[in-house]
Amino acid sequence: MLQQLNSGVLYLICGAIILFVAAVCVVFLVRAYRAGKALGMDEAVLKKTITASASFSVLPSIGILLGVIALSGSLGVPWPWLRLSVIGALHYETQVAEAAAEQVGMTSLDASQMTAGGFSTIALLMSICIMWGMVLSIFFNRKYAGRQTVQRSGPGFGDQAMDAMFIGLVSVYLGSYIGEFVSGKGIFHFTGSWTSLAVAAIAAAAMAVFQYFIEHKKQKWLESFTIAGSMLIGMIGAVLIGR
Amino acid sequence: MDQTEVFKKYESKTHHIGRITSIITLVMLIGAPFLIGSYLGALPDLGAAAKAFLAVGLVWLVSSIVEFLIYTPMLGSGGGYLAFITGNLINMKIPCAMTARELAGTKVGTPENEIISTISIATSSLVTIVILAVGVLLLVPLRPVLTSEALQPAFSNVVPALFGAMAYKYYRKNIRVALVPLVVMSLLFILVPSLISQTSIMIIPSGAIAILLAYLLWRKKK
Repeated sequence: MLQQLNSGVLYLICGAIILFVAAVCVVFLVRAYRAGKALGMDEAVLKKTITASASFSVLPSIGILLGVIALSGSLGVPWPWLRLSVIGALHYETQVAEAAAEQVGMTSLDASQMTAGGFSTIALLMSICIMWGMVLSIFFNRKYAGRQTVQRSGPGFGDQAMDAMFIGLVSVYLGSYIGEFVSGKGIFHFTGSWTSLAVAAIAAAAMAVFQYFIEHKKQKWLESFTIAGSMLIGMIGAVLIGR
Repeated sequence: MDQTEVFKKYESKTHHIGRITSIITLVMLIGAPFLIGSYLGALPDLGAAAKAFLAVGLVWLVSSIVEFLIYTPMLGSGGGYLAFITGNLINMKIPCAMTARELAGTKVGTPENEIISTISIATSSLVTIVILAVGVLLLVPLRPVLTSEALQPAFSNVVPALFGAMAYKYYRKNIRVALVPLVVMSLLFILVPSLISQTSIMIIPSGAIAILLAYLLWRKKK
């Protein structure tokens, strides 16, 4: 079965969809860049945005590639490649695939139990489960994003609200690392895994060093690479802790 | 044409392109399992898929509604369409767009921010597509390296590394807003460890606390 799931035809089907989405990204990128120029934005800022976003995305993308590798053992390579390139999310895909496998009668997501019917049903379910953000965008993006623009057009609270929302998001993850360490193996046992917490702390310390060089040593060029650099240092820390 | 007109025209066309490309992507994603099924000789079992969706899919439907409501204002119009097409919002697109906004110094809700957000998400999506394509092409030589035991902790901790770095940037600017949600969330996860697996849902109360605090501070400053 796995041989069929890795066949050229599947690569062709999945590759064509990915190619379409890549073309969509290029269209959005080029249009936005041109509109930015037409609006009188500094081209250096636009270029810096591209550089910073590209460098930022490399490490998480390698993490996502690992998701493809993890799922390829049971679903072949082309389908996970498609799912994680388009619409999918690393933390959702494995869960949905596992749950879908159980629903089609498999005891677990396992290549030895996979049938053609099982695969196509799992694939359909994976698509249906995670398509809703796109569906909502089709119907409501214009109204909802437009309303935000109107609301935020004055001297307002918009920037603080977005920063606060993001701080809320970050706090949940940091809180979960603290919770995992303190109560992961029993409430207040302090014997849970501390790797995530330590990695977050190392990355934060690395970011502090980068900021020091940017703000006090005038190393402005570092700005585009601070997140990627801090993440890399945090991840190296994880390897050292894991040894 | 003045700049307001230029942006209005750009934004209107963005919605047009965004909707059409989202619909095409959706049709392709739903159609692909049927196409693959017909090649493999077994179409999807619609009854089983419907039952399975009721069992496991509703959670993701609710989660998607929450994500749409929270993240669309952060991403803007163009960025919103792209991010929901390409996925990986929390672990990549949102932090990427926020970082780009900060670097460019743009204000939320302005045309400039819309442009920066779209550029950053399009670039980020392209980088992922390229890395995954190269990774798939080189899967045979790369697999042993990437899945080696020594490197496992690094790739299991991409998100903690990302949020650690982002936390420093945002907390130092907004420590009065950050402290309460961090303490409340930590206590919640310590006292109810089962919530650790529900992080995406916990973003709502945590975000609400942070926004309320930020609002109070903003009102006080005015």
